Amino acid sequence: MKLPKKSDRKTHPFQKILNMLKNPAHPKKGNLKEKECKFSKAGVVYIDYKDVDTLERFINDQGKILPRRVTGTSAKYQRQLALAVKRARHLGLLPFVAENLR
Amino acid sequence: MKTNFYEVTFIINPVLEEDQVKEVKEGFESFIKEREAEIDEVDEWGIKRLTYEIDGKNSGYYVNAYFHAPGTIVSDLERYFKLQENIIRNIVLKYDNKMLKHRDLQKKGKLPVIFSETPEEE
Repeated sequence: MKLPKKSDRKTHPFQKILNMLKNPAHPKKGNLKEKECKFSKAGVVYIDYKDVDTLERFINDQGKILPRRVTGTSAKYQRQLALAVKRARHLGLLPFVAENLR
Repeated sequence: MKTNFYEVTFIINPVLEEDQVKEVKEGFESFIKEREAEIDEVDEWGIKRLTYEIDGKNSGYYVNAYFHAPGTIVSDLERYFKLQENIIRNIVLKYDNKMLKHRDLQKKGKLPVIFSETPEEE
């Protein structure tokens, strides 16, 4: 069996998004940001539960851990981050649920 | 004997007098020393506010310690913390290679900066 001609082949959906981002004229250009993992960028080896200031940036005002799709953290560091946040919660450094919200 | 590197953090009841807090801390130090631990660092964070109420308390006296010790210490420590009525929370961590590297950098003060001083504007 023959492969379809190159021009007839379907573009992979992920590739489509990448192409879209490269196109400066695309209407969604301004809205879609290429996110970067803050931890990979800084060259972190271990996310410390004691580093409350950093962890606070990755939880919302209810005290929930922000998803990867929001922060752009890589899977590897998201796992470490979740563990660090949970340890910090155990020690009363971070809230399980933030109160005073109504 | 093979030893591991451990980190322990615990919270002491803030209602205690200063010398009582000292007593609890020294009790812990002598307890781990008895079990052949070699203390690397004991850091007291002092009284901090808790983000939620633990045992009816809104603040706690934090103590953070690092030491080398044989693995048998862990179960002893866990029992010790349970029996100590003035320790309201604790965590015991065994350090793996990555965490040791992190500790090394931390000692040299060369930890990677994740966020620069000025917060990013959204």
